[in-house]
Amino acid sequence: MKATERRDILLRIIDLCESVSKKGLNPFDVRVGELFDKLRELLPLLRRHEELALDLQAVVGLAEVIRQQGEWIKHRSSLLYLDPLLVMLKIHALSTEELAQIFVRSWHPILELECLTPLGLKEGLEYWKFLPSLQERLRELPKMEVQPGRIGLKELEEMGFIHECFDEMLDSLWLELRKRGRVDYWKFIKGKNFSERVKRAYLLSFLITYGLAKIYLDPIEERIEVEAVDEPQRKREIQSMVISITK
Amino acid sequence: MTEETQDELREKFARAIQLLCFKHHMEPGARTWELRHALGKNYEQILEALQTELEKFGLTIKRVSSGGEAESDRFFVTLRESPPLTTARTYGWRVDEMGMLAAILAQLLVRGGKAPLKEILQVLEEKFPKFRIDPAIEKFIRRGYLSQDEEGMLYIGWRTRAEVDEKTLLGLLLGKGKS
Repeated sequence: MKATERRDILLRIIDLCESVSKKGLNPFDVRVGELFDKLRELLPLLRRHEELALDLQAVVGLAEVIRQQGEWIKHRSSLLYLDPLLVMLKIHALSTEELAQIFVRSWHPILELECLTPLGLKEGLEYWKFLPSLQERLRELPKMEVQPGRIGLKELEEMGFIHECFDEMLDSLWLELRKRGRVDYWKFIKGKNFSERVKRAYLLSFLITYGLAKIYLDPIEERIEVEAVDEPQRKREIQSMVISITK
Repeated sequence: MTEETQDELREKFARAIQLLCFKHHMEPGARTWELRHALGKNYEQILEALQTELEKFGLTIKRVSSGGEAESDRFFVTLRESPPLTTARTYGWRVDEMGMLAAILAQLLVRGGKAPLKEILQVLEEKFPKFRIDPAIEKFIRRGYLSQDEEGMLYIGWRTRAEVDEKTLLGLLLGKGKS
């Protein structure tokens, strides 16, 4: 069996387990025993760390399905279990008024009060003192028309839109990565500010695509590492990966 | 509790009622540890005595499990009996909103407390106008009757656990509830 096939099977199992908890499917639709047998067959064939990590993730997912099966049995054996179809038919049959009556007759509203503290009063007073008059607030903001401007070559170079400059930036980033060895992805792309972080991540993605850098993913510990490669290698299998960067 | 003087007891009653009724941040009620901290080790006895007093006004104290440790359970003061529909309308509820909430809760309860919003909407859209459904669901989530996750799954909210007698709701829906 090829590595890609093994990986696909593992990913399918993980996806199935996730869909049970996320989409609220019946956990007994998952044939846990058969899937564990499949994992047992696959285990001796797994070589790479990534495959072993996926295997572990699949086992954890199946364990979660078993937990949900327990919850499902508990719910079914409780007094609250009714056939969802029967309930749906009842909802269809009853008028809005009747449904409202049902809600009200099973409803015991909470007694809740809101109180104003001296601190709240002080804050309110401060707000009122600094609130501009209604006339001022309704005044329209002055309109300012902005004409499209020109952008210089130097600015374009700085932004990385000029090809030569882009290659230079890639080279310098590659040299930096090579110097730092195998390094945490987030530490490597960290810049002075958010835009620099995005820029470094963008450039790094090119290095990875060109085969000039390797990316190591540890799904269990959620760690991503990168390392420079001297000679670009021919890839046996191509995978795409999305890493979102937030401010 | 016998060692406590009448004044001390009255003071603790007042403290308990303040904790239970006034909103702290966004939610009313008090957690077990808050009550223990404010009323002392015998907080349960104080609550029992307070319960007797509250019953005279048609109120009761309800304990709602947080699903985790007992220390995080929340106590609320609720109405002992359900209000009549005409009175409930004066609490800021429309009849169709109450009907919608009953339909949503019934579906969630029979499905173990959660269901995809999309499926709930399909049932509602056959009965209620769409322009009323979205704002109503938003209102139920805002008030804590429902909660929703990023995956679009709808859950029973903390307020439903505190205010709605789930068994009665399902019983009434099937026409075998309390009369």
